[in-house]
Amino acid sequence: MLQYLLKRLLIFIPTIIVISLLMFILSANAPGDPVELMLNKNSGNEGQSSQKLSTEKAYNELRHKLGFDLPLFYFSFTNSTSSDTLHRIPKKAHRENLDRLSSNYGNWSDVAAYYESLRSFENSVFAIERNNSNAIAMNGVKERITDLYKTYEDPKVALYFSDIEKICAGTPGLAASISSFKKTKEAYTAMLKNQNAYAKYIPAIHVYGFENQYHRWITNFVKGDFGISYRDKRPVWSVLKDALRWTILLSTISIFLAYILAIPIGVMSAVKKGTMQERATTTTLFILYSLPSFWIATILIIYFCGGDYFDWFPAFGLGTLPPDAPFAERFMETAYHLILPIFCLSYGSLAYISRQMRGGMLNVIGQDYIRTARAKGLEDKKVVWKHAFRNSLLPILTLFANIFPAAISGSFVIEFIFSIPGMGMTSLGALNARDYPIVFTAVMFTAILTLVGTLVADMLYAAVDPRISYSNKK
Amino acid sequence: MSATEKEIKTVSAADQSFWANVKRQFKKNKLAVYSLRFIYVLIFIAVFADFIANEKPIACKYNNAVYFPLLKSYSVDLGFSNWQPEFQNVTWKDLEYEWVVFPLVPYLPKNMDAYNSQSVSPFAEQEVKSTRWKHWLGTDELGHDILAAMIHGTRISLQVGLISQGIAAFIGILLGALAGYYGDDRLKISRGRLILNIIALFLAFFYGFGSRSYILGDAIGISFGKFFVELLISFVLMTLIFVLANLLAVALKAIPFFKQKVNIAVDIIVSRMVEIMVSIPTLFLSIAIVAIAKPSIILVMAIIGMTTWTGIARFIRAELLKVRNLEFIESAHALGFSEMRTLFRHAIPNALSPVLIAIAFGIAAAILIESTLSFLGIGVPAETLTWGSVLSAARQSPTAWWLAIFPGFAIFLTVTVYNLVGEGLTDALDPRQKK
Repeated sequence: MLQYLLKRLLIFIPTIIVISLLMFILSANAPGDPVELMLNKNSGNEGQSSQKLSTEKAYNELRHKLGFDLPLFYFSFTNSTSSDTLHRIPKKAHRENLDRLSSNYGNWSDVAAYYESLRSFENSVFAIERNNSNAIAMNGVKERITDLYKTYEDPKVALYFSDIEKICAGTPGLAASISSFKKTKEAYTAMLKNQNAYAKYIPAIHVYGFENQYHRWITNFVKGDFGISYRDKRPVWSVLKDALRWTILLSTISIFLAYILAIPIGVMSAVKKGTMQERATTTTLFILYSLPSFWIATILIIYFCGGDYFDWFPAFGLGTLPPDAPFAERFMETAYHLILPIFCLSYGSLAYISRQMRGGMLNVIGQDYIRTARAKGLEDKKVVWKHAFRNSLLPILTLFANIFPAAISGSFVIEFIFSIPGMGMTSLGALNARDYPIVFTAVMFTAILTLVGTLVADMLYAAVDPRISYSNKK
Repeated sequence: MSATEKEIKTVSAADQSFWANVKRQFKKNKLAVYSLRFIYVLIFIAVFADFIANEKPIACKYNNAVYFPLLKSYSVDLGFSNWQPEFQNVTWKDLEYEWVVFPLVPYLPKNMDAYNSQSVSPFAEQEVKSTRWKHWLGTDELGHDILAAMIHGTRISLQVGLISQGIAAFIGILLGALAGYYGDDRLKISRGRLILNIIALFLAFFYGFGSRSYILGDAIGISFGKFFVELLISFVLMTLIFVLANLLAVALKAIPFFKQKVNIAVDIIVSRMVEIMVSIPTLFLSIAIVAIAKPSIILVMAIIGMTTWTGIARFIRAELLKVRNLEFIESAHALGFSEMRTLFRHAIPNALSPVLIAIAFGIAAAILIESTLSFLGIGVPAETLTWGSVLSAARQSPTAWWLAIFPGFAIFLTVTVYNLVGEGLTDALDPRQKK
């Protein structure tokens, strides 16, 4: 048994690594620049040189603090055109464009030279004193430069170049930066001239070692530091803690209700098999099981929450009472708001559990020992609850495995429909806002709890049924 | 039925083939049979959705010439022909035809009826030319015809179910069969072949996707057809690399070190993969991927397929563990058939029946996941109307009951019907039930 437990625990490790890698790959490929998201603005397009420098500095500092200046992973497997120092370029959009350029032209050193010359051209434009005569022209040039940072198609680049040329020629105030513009153009033509079309078909492996983003994140995760939310800059744990409260409350009540009702229903429908009553129950359960909960929730809101029909329940939220209101009042208010969500969450699992219970019970009731118990004159109630019921609990035990993850991850849809600020709603909001620290942590927790849940269910299985023994297993 | 007839029936039943037997068992379950018929209806609606609900006439006489605009739209879409100048950018229903045959529902889901916007109830007075143009199931906020959206939504939900389970079946059958057939100790390949195949795996990934990532990424932005062609090129490249590696492996056998056989524990590898997949919160993961990537229905199908193959793999693995010890496999070996031929021609076809059950339940689950995603407003592009997205519109206009009742009922019915067929198949294929 202990050996089996250890073996199972060992399997956890690769599973968790795979899930974390999946999530990591996802976040690395997601659009949007997390540093800019956290700064809440696009840095460095407006204003004077000093202002640009300060925003750039803020950007770089935050980037360093969050560890985004590190390479992504322990190694990278790419083609020979991409540079192993690309991760040092600050902006994500710039990085992506540079990677594309080097993939197109196959010559990283020329691409890097072009980028550097573009940067010095930008700096020279920002260094020029802004006055009434050149302000419009300057903004035009800055806009083109911002576009150039994100453009890889040759005709578009040529268009921007000719635009800048025209603006510079028409505005004497920009004469100071013409020389560096020429350099940029030269660098660009050099890049076109020296292109190597085959370089992208040569594979290359770069090794970065332990100083990388993934390593930092996963070690922090193991240590219990889940990072900081990009959106509201609070620690992830405190954001999730608030959400967890509601989700756990909702799930515990609905799971408890489902089990309390499902077990007797399942047992009765198995014992009374063949009667009209049983058939009606079974059909109802089947229909309940197939009714999508988001449909039922929507219908309930339409018919019972204002609208044109009954106004019995609140449609969403948890009430507006202040936190210092008396407990009883707050309790009633919350309970009132939670009736519909709890109903929607529990009817599906109620149907599922009672169907499982019925199946397990039917299996047992056909066994010889039940017939023996009946034959020796035991009363029906005792046969059912003492002999049959205990043995039919096995399939129900496996369902326990689903409880932990369900209790934590919450129901996305139900929380979304009723606007309950639980785990589901929080992670959905985090996903839409690309707030990955929250998403990561929520997914990892759900996965870990799924693993623990299945393990607990298997252990319970062995504990309840002496015929099952894991130690004898090969 | 007379006694002799009955006798003939029972005699013929005895030597019926396996599938005939399954069919007979399946027919005993009336509910499942009706469900299957209902699925045929759904398939019919999905296939002919363009002809049932469309803005273009099926046939019409216009300016003294007879046209078939609906059929023509196919060839125009494929790039074979162009619209006549008089039909370019027209509102089809406002043209002055001499005679015209419109489809049953003269709307497309994308059409917005400006006169009937702001969610018009099916029972309310609608501003339409005649009953022919009535919105039988009402309209939504923007004036989309709900019936047309429902009909075209059938196609989307069926596509999602079939394609996602096609992907799941492909992965699941392949991995499950390898695990079940070879187990932990039967797959022995030469060391050279193993090394070359591992190298080929990396190279195939590199040339198939790594160096072509921008080409593929650009293609998905242009059109699905273009993306499919590029994807096919990637797969051909990958296959070529593997073929080359295996040819090279034959040559490498001359060296004794590379000729040595090594054992590969396929079963352990596949079982671990299944365990990992099962513990990933699927809906969460789908939502994460779909929310990050560009919304597209193809992506939704691919993700559902790639996360739900475990059930199929488990079924087929268990079945092949039994099948591989049966006599006919032994005789196939004795006849000197190659391993591949034995596996794919003899072992897998005899283990496929339980997979059908998994696929039937899988389609139901896939349709449910897709409509959940559309309901949450992620995954499917905003301009595509699906059952789930129509249902979510009901949240914005809580008085519009028709936006909730019809699509929700369609989802419920479709999911239930597939589940019922799945249950019918389970009973029909269960050997314990055979008398």
